Parts: sequence; C-alpha cells; structure tokens
Amino acid sequence: MKKEIQTANSSLAVDKVSLSFGKILVINNVSFQVYEGEILSIIGPNGAGKTSLLNCLSGFYQPDSGRITYKGQEITKIPIHRRASLGIGRTFQGLQLFPGMTVINNIMSGRHILMKTNFLQAFLHWPWVHREEIAHREVVEEIIDFLEMEAIRHELVGNLGYGLRKRVDLARALALEPKILIMDEPMAGMNMEEKEDMARFIIDIEEFKSIPIILVEHDMEVVMDISNRIMVLDWGNVIAEGKPEEIRTNPAVIKAYLGDADEEVNHY
Amino acid sequence: MAVLPCGVHSANYSQDKAFIRTPVQWVCFIAFLLIVFAGPFFFPSRMLGIIIITGITIIAVVGLQITVGLTGQINLGQSAFMGMGAFTTATLAANFNLPFWLSIPAGGIGGALLGAIFGIPALRVKGFYLALTSLAAQILFPLLITRMPSKWFGGPNGLGLAPAKIGGFTLQSDQSLYYLIMGVTVIMLFFAFNLTRSRVGRALMAVRDNDIVAEIMGVNLFTYKTLAFAIGSLYAGIAGGLWAYYLRYVMAEQFNLWSSVWYLGMIIVGGVGSILGAILGTVFLRALQELITIAGPWFGQVFPQAGGEALWYSGMNIVLGGVIILFLIFEPKGLAHRWNVLKHSFRIWPYPYL
Ligand SMILES: Nc1ncnc2c1ncn2[C@@H]1O[C@H](COP(=O)(O)OP(=O)(O)OP(=O)(O)O)[C@@H](O)[C@H]1O
Ligand SMILES: [Mg+2]
Repeated sequence: MKKEIQTANSSLAVDKVSLSFGKILVINNVSFQVYEGEILSIIGPNGAGKTSLLNCLSGFYQPDSGRITYKGQEITKIPIHRRASLGIGRTFQGLQLFPGMTVINNIMSGRHILMKTNFLQAFLHWPWVHREEIAHREVVEEIIDFLEMEAIRHELVGNLGYGLRKRVDLARALALEPKILIMDEPMAGMNMEEKEDMARFIIDIEEFKSIPIILVEHDMEVVMDISNRIMVLDWGNVIAEGKPEEIRTNPAVIKAYLGDADEEVNHY
Repeated sequence: MAVLPCGVHSANYSQDKAFIRTPVQWVCFIAFLLIVFAGPFFFPSRMLGIIIITGITIIAVVGLQITVGLTGQINLGQSAFMGMGAFTTATLAANFNLPFWLSIPAGGIGGALLGAIFGIPALRVKGFYLALTSLAAQILFPLLITRMPSKWFGGPNGLGLAPAKIGGFTLQSDQSLYYLIMGVTVIMLFFAFNLTRSRVGRALMAVRDNDIVAEIMGVNLFTYKTLAFAIGSLYAGIAGGLWAYYLRYVMAEQFNLWSSVWYLGMIIVGGVGSILGAILGTVFLRALQELITIAGPWFGQVFPQAGGEALWYSGMNIVLGGVIILFLIFEPKGLAHRWNVLKHSFRIWPYPYL
C-alpha cells in the first residue's frame, strides 16, 4: 500500500542541531532527513522538543549549533519571512490564525509572496491589481473546494469552531504553494470525524501535490496509519527512527511513553 | 461585505469583492456624491466651515485607522504627523512658491517620512512602549518646529501662506476650498477602501492579528510595520496640507496631543479596524462637539450661576470623553458594527432569526 520512498531525493536535511533556552537543553544534537514524497511523523511525549524543532525549521528559533539544509541550500540563518518564498509551508499547534479576517482573507494572505501589488498600486486598484486579485482568488477557491469549506468562506475566522479553524490553517499553508509542508498537531482537540477528514486531507496533499510532509501528532493511530516514517523525540534526543511497524515495537519508544504515563500517574 | 440585501449573490469573484453591488447602493452612492457636490449651494457658510474641518479630520482619522485599527500599531502622534504635513506644505508654498497641487502631496510625504521614522521602533516594541514612542513624536514636534530657523517654519510665530491658486483662479472662499478639500477627501477614502481589499491591506491585518505567523507567511515585519506608520501619516500629512490652505496660518500649537487623543477617540467610537468606522466616528464626535458648542451659550444664559465659558469648554471635554468611555464599555465594536447589525436586520426582515 505505502509506496517505497527514494532515499536519494532529500528535500530537507537537519544536521546535528542543538537548541537550549538558558540552561535547558531542548534539542540535543538532532539529525534527520526528509525525503521527497514522504510523510515523516515526529512523535514524542509533551515537552520533548517537537515544536521547538519545527520552530528551528521556520526560523523562529535559532539553533545554537548545527545546520539546516533545504534543497541543497543552507537555510539555518536566513530570515523567517524569506523562508515562505523558498516553499516552506507551516501549520501551527493550537490556534494561530488571523481571527479578525475572513476565511477568504486568511487564505489569501497565504499567497502574499506569490502576489506583487505594492501599496501605491493597492490605492488605485484598477486594472492590474484587480486582475491579480481575481487570478489568485481562483487558486484559493480551488483550495476551498479541496478542503470542503465553501459554506464558510466569508465568515470571520474568530467566529468558527475549532475543527474548522484548523482547516483554515491548513488552507493558508497550502495557499503559498509549499514545496514542503510542516504540520504541528493538526488533529489535537478534534473529534473523530474531524480527525478522519484531516487525515484524508493530509494523505491527499501528499499524493496529489507530491510534496513531503513533516507531521507532529499525538494521535498514535493516525500517525501509524498515514506515516511513511516516524522519528521519536524524547527530552530533545532522537531515540528511534523507522517505519511505523518498527516504531510500534521499539523498546526505547515504549519505555519513553510508559515513563511519561508513570509521571502522569504520579502527578494526579 | 457579507451582509447584503436578501437574494444578492455573487456570480463571479469580481462581484464578490466589489464594494458597491446593488442598484440601490449605486443610487445611494451617486446621491451622496451629488449632495456633496451641491453642498455650497444650500449649506450656510458656517456649515461649510464645519464640513471642511470634518473632511480634513476624516482624512487624518482614516490614516490613524490604517496604522492603529488595520495594523494594530498604536500611535499617539497623529496630530504631530499632521503638523509635519502642514508645515511642509506651508514652507514650500510660502518660501518656494510651489503650487498647492505639489505642496499638498509634498506635505503628505513630509508627514509620511516623520511617521515612518517614529514607526521604526514598532519592529521591536509593542503596546505601551510603542505608545510612548509615538508620544515622544508628539512632544518633540513643537520643539523641533519652533527651534528651526524662523525662515523655514516661522519659529514660534508660525507661518502664513498665500491662498491656493489654480490658473488665474484663487481658492480663497469657503466655497472653492470646500471643493478642493472634499475632492481630496473622496480620493483619500477611495484609496483607503482599496487598500483594505488588497494584498497590502491583508498583510497589514495579518500583522495586527498575529505578527509571528504573518512573518512565516512571508510578510516582512519591518517593511510592513514601517509602512503602516508611513501610510497612516501620509494621510495625516495630506490633512495637514489642506489645513494649511484652509486656515492659511500654521502654528505648532495647532497640532497638540489633545487632537491626537481625539482622533483615537473617533476610531473607538466608530469602530477599530474599519474605514467606514473612522468616518462615522469622526462625523459623530464632530457633530456632538458642534452641538455642545451651540448649546453652550444658551446653557450659560439659562444657568448663569453655573459658571462662564471656560467651565463650559472643560464641560464639553468631559461630555465627549464620557461618550468615548461609554462606547468602550457598551459598544466596543463601534458605530460601524451598529450599522452592519442594522443592515443585517434589514436584510433578513421579517425573519429575525435567520
Ligand atoms: N520560548 C521558550 N522559552 C523557554 N523554554 C521554552 C520555549 N519554548 C519551548 N520551551 C521549552 O522547551 C521544551 C520543549 O517544548 P516544545 O514546545 O518544543 O515541546 P513539544 O514536544 O512540542 O511538546 P507538546 O507535545 O506539548 O507540544 C519545553 O520544556 C518547553 O518548556
Ligand atoms: Mg508542541
């Protein structure tokens, strides 16, 4: 069922990246590759450093050491806003939308780098700005169709329910026509049905757009189901990496998760 | 935009993003333009003066709305940026004989430059500290202007300028200035509405709603935060230029902190983030101000024991400030929101729960 991934085609390479906040080492010497056409899941207990790692890829955190290479180009230090035009799309843990804007405008803002209007042209609007708006609106409508959001396109995002907001988040990331998609817990807090929809969307994106996806997710069932490869983080260390069936039976992984469960038991 | 009369649907994306969409809206819009155009023929001259000042204020407040409401960058110095425009226009007109159609845009650029400079810290500081930065602009402005060589900006005495001229015609009467100022106001409003539905407008709103994510979407925060101040104070500068030609005398004291605070109040009353709100808020507070000014002397005659005119003016500030506070408490979304609710209930009438 799952296709074999060509390990020759690396999209993104993380090489010995470490990150600390003050004295706390959050990511410890982490290296991994993302190959074209795969869904790589990163899992690990709460506080393992998954989001921090993604933030290094987005440029929001600067690693203390190590290199991040994307399509052969080192991107470790380039400014955050320039990474969008390289084709790095990202969705966020929790709700990180533009709540005061409509669904359409949220998604259109994902096309910022693909559009050209400057503020003087924006003042006048006609005719070329208008044409540009329409052309990009058509692409956005395709995304709206794809994610089945036709009914809410004019709603203010702040008025939507949680599941739909996460869908807007994905739509906005897709709008910038990413060449790699980074998703941080797209299904957290969703009900069964919403999760199934989201899983279907993720599989479709990988299949039809054939872009690699880095997925951070806590729902093991989904992760085991849709990933080509899984990497496990614990206290900032990579403790395992491999196919879903290998990870399921990996003793170190089981220990990390059980250890976490123990802690939770102690807490309550 | 989502609220339209029953049965109006978009058949294509052009219609979907247009501001004026139904025949009734077109009729209202054209009727409004006609009234504005015919104004001088039936408004008494006192009324014309009020409309002119309101038009100038609308430009400044719409600019402030772009900085504060659209982009979320607090600005307590809009009046100083307006002053910068006024003095730029005045000095170019008085000392270099520049015609008004050059000196007013130049005033806009003067305002925009000052605004952009004081907007640069917005990349690093937010909220309270940004408020302090713009407050610094407001405090420094009169010192800066009055200390400059008096040839430039007239020193402490201010600067007078000759009336605007076009061809052989002098724009000196209230009627002719009315057309100039209303014309510019309409153009600036047209620009502002267009801005909100463009790529740039969306980037500004994205910065307001979540600047970190905006950056990940590729929005350069430095560029856009500075731009928010530059555009906002471009509007202030144009307003200042018109002010200079209307009063034909500019002094640093005309552009004080009070005005800056009033402009913010107008945004609050009208609705933060909405261009229409900026217009409604300005008209509402200005009308209220005029009403109190008219009622004042009458009040003084009926209750002479209540105190003289001075008391009256401080009373006026209390009333207007109170109105702003009431809006903050009871209608924080402002008049623009009220207007939308009204339109909505009109649309779905007679089914109130649609
Ligand atoms: N900006 C920051 N400053 C200080 N500490 C931080 C910062 N961001 C994250 N941390 C710490 O780094 C560690 C890893 O956090 P991170 O958010 O990356 O975990 P995570 O794996 O995404 O967890 P979760 O599954 O709960 O989302 C945590 O201990 C967290 O407190
Ligand atoms: Mg996380």
